[in-house]
Amino acid sequence: MFVQIEDLVYQYRNASEPAIKNFSLQLNEGEIIAILGESGSGKSTILRLLAGLETPKSGMIIINGQKMVDDHTFIPPEKRGIGMVFQDYALFPHMTVENNIKFGLRHMTSKQKQKRIEEMLELVNLLDYKKRYPYELSGGQQQRVALARALAPAPSLLLFDEPFSNLDASLQMKIRDELKQILKQTKSTSIFVTHDQVDAAALADRTVLIEKGVVKNISKVEPPKSYSLI
Amino acid sequence: MKLVQQVKTQINMWAILSFVFIVIILLPNILIAIHFFGEPNENWFHIKEYLLFDIFYNTSILLVSTGVATIIIGTSLAWMITVYKFPLRNFFRWGMILPLAIPPFIGAYTYQGMVNYTGFIQSTLRNSFDLQVNQKYFSMMSMEGTIFIFTMFLFPYVYVITKSFIENQSSSIIENARLLGANSFETFVRVVLPISKTAIVGSATIVMLEVINDYGVVKYYGIQTFITSIFQTWFAMGDRESAFKLAGTLMVVVIFILVIERVIRGRKQFSYSTTKIRPIQPKQLKGVKAWIAFSYCFTIFSLAFLIPFVQLIFWMLMTYERILTAEFYTLVKNSFFAASVAALIIVIVGLIIANYSRIHQGLLPKFFARVTVLGYSVPGAVIAIGVITIFLMIDRNLGSLFKLFSIDTTFVLRTSIVMLISAYVIRFLAVGYNSIEAGFEKVGTTFTEASRTLGLSTFRTFLKVDIPMVKGAIIGGFILVFVDILKELPLTMLLQPFNFQTLATRAFRYANDEMISEAASASLLIILISGICIFIFHKVLDRGEAN
Repeated sequence: MFVQIEDLVYQYRNASEPAIKNFSLQLNEGEIIAILGESGSGKSTILRLLAGLETPKSGMIIINGQKMVDDHTFIPPEKRGIGMVFQDYALFPHMTVENNIKFGLRHMTSKQKQKRIEEMLELVNLLDYKKRYPYELSGGQQQRVALARALAPAPSLLLFDEPFSNLDASLQMKIRDELKQILKQTKSTSIFVTHDQVDAAALADRTVLIEKGVVKNISKVEPPKSYSLI
Repeated sequence: MKLVQQVKTQINMWAILSFVFIVIILLPNILIAIHFFGEPNENWFHIKEYLLFDIFYNTSILLVSTGVATIIIGTSLAWMITVYKFPLRNFFRWGMILPLAIPPFIGAYTYQGMVNYTGFIQSTLRNSFDLQVNQKYFSMMSMEGTIFIFTMFLFPYVYVITKSFIENQSSSIIENARLLGANSFETFVRVVLPISKTAIVGSATIVMLEVINDYGVVKYYGIQTFITSIFQTWFAMGDRESAFKLAGTLMVVVIFILVIERVIRGRKQFSYSTTKIRPIQPKQLKGVKAWIAFSYCFTIFSLAFLIPFVQLIFWMLMTYERILTAEFYTLVKNSFFAASVAALIIVIVGLIIANYSRIHQGLLPKFFARVTVLGYSVPGAVIAIGVITIFLMIDRNLGSLFKLFSIDTTFVLRTSIVMLISAYVIRFLAVGYNSIEAGFEKVGTTFTEASRTLGLSTFRTFLKVDIPMVKGAIIGGFILVFVDILKELPLTMLLQPFNFQTLATRAFRYANDEMISEAASASLLIILISGICIFIFHKVLDRGEAN
């Protein structure tokens, strides 16, 4: 198993009941998982726990053989090598597209960095935009920069928090297909949370349905029939 | 093991630094509390029997009258300027903040200089109209005069805070009140005042804390208050114990005011529930009404800014050749040096505490944030005597340490500028902190989190993301603190090292030596710098709201 999550429990301060109850999930390398749930179901919290932005009450996370969290260990987010695309993208407004992508690159010569940036920009089809600032981009472009930024350091796991919620309906489908293509092309193991079943079905290999912090159902997504017609 | 993990994630550089700063802030107050409950000496019984009643009496009259007067003037101006258009209204909108640029003690001696026997009012009456007036009515040096000065130079606090509160209300509230048959005055009294209660009470509390903190006005006008008594017992009588007792008693008064504020404010925090706020469109006033509104604003503006400002320019023109010497430049240098070093330290400390309480949840960070803000309610003189006592203790220990290594030294911290700057930092930390905290609040935590998932530690995130993103708030905080320190009097008077004077203390000393016109140059420089900062702030703030 590439990603192993065992019995994760999380409780907010001053809350009487845990927000996440005994969450377990295994991912194969290169697999795309959708966590599906209503707002307040705790789905975003799972991403934050994986990224190391929250500390679980108990449970264990192992990624690529490295123990991230258990009762004795807590690896801080910057040492986990996990990429995350935030719901509002969180592009640094004081940096250009190029510098946003460069931000997470280290242990590289500046030539290597430059090469990596170009690769990423090409991947998300934004080569002409590298000198722009985030506010000069459309919503869809911003999201692609956020994706490029998260992908650039070649994370072992990629997390998406409601990746399409800030986009127009017409743009959503286009971006969704692009995203799937990019993820498969880069063989990224990824988890995204959404409240939209259609998104989940179109993107993921498996979906996890979560309700009030408890896993209700894990199911494999059948390849859509429309694809076979082509 | 669980505990170890908890401790590891909670205790880090941020927590430790914040803790150290909080202890430093609290130390003077703790010392005062200890001495307050200590054994009283004979002098204290004397003070208690003959002085304390007067002090309490004077303080209460000053607080209540200034509070009521600033509320009346501040809220009426805020209402008028927000909902009506009349001649020069756009100028008054920010011009009414300008009186804040004049420290009350400068206003105090300027007014006294104008109305006394040699002042321009009486000389004009004498020379042009051959009128001799009863001196009794031409002195500012009374309780009424003191209240007038405080009101004129402190009402902008109420005005600014209430104005921005009213401006953030939706016009539908006022329109509704009108539709329901209320006229303007009724709308003001029955709708606007109750809604703005939090803002009004909060700003009036700031005014009262400023009144309590004041040394310059009451000393010059001869009104006995806590602060003047603390100066007296400390300097004239050399009685530290009683000074501590007075400081402790004063802190009780401060706490009392803060509690009252809480009670009046209650739990009601009115804020408009929807995000779609239609801003209030000011209504054009015509004819007599427009001129009444204009005259009211112009009178207040003249009394609180224009007249004293012009008078100071006159005095400066009379004296600048004698004043603008090398000594004056030393004053400027001293003031700028002390203010910028303290402001820089405050910004750094403020950043660290704000960042700590932002990243970590829980009671301790919240407590730290509270303490940081409360520092501003402690009067400067109280902080000063606390700080002196601490430095005395440090010096004593350092002295014995030096002796131990038989180093012959005359170095003492308490006569150095270190003591003054430490006290500034403790007193004004809240001002810088508030600005930085507001900046962080606007930015949120996602950028920090994004940076950390991209592999940057908290510290590097702080440098590369957090600081650049709140740059505006940092600069704003720096300027606010800088101006506050430039105007500061009581703390500086008590703690300035030998041969070290600031613009403010020199101006006050000139005025106290009956050399009022000589004080003008230093005063004008303070007013000018503060005025420019206020102007810039208003412009930036307005643009921010427009976006």
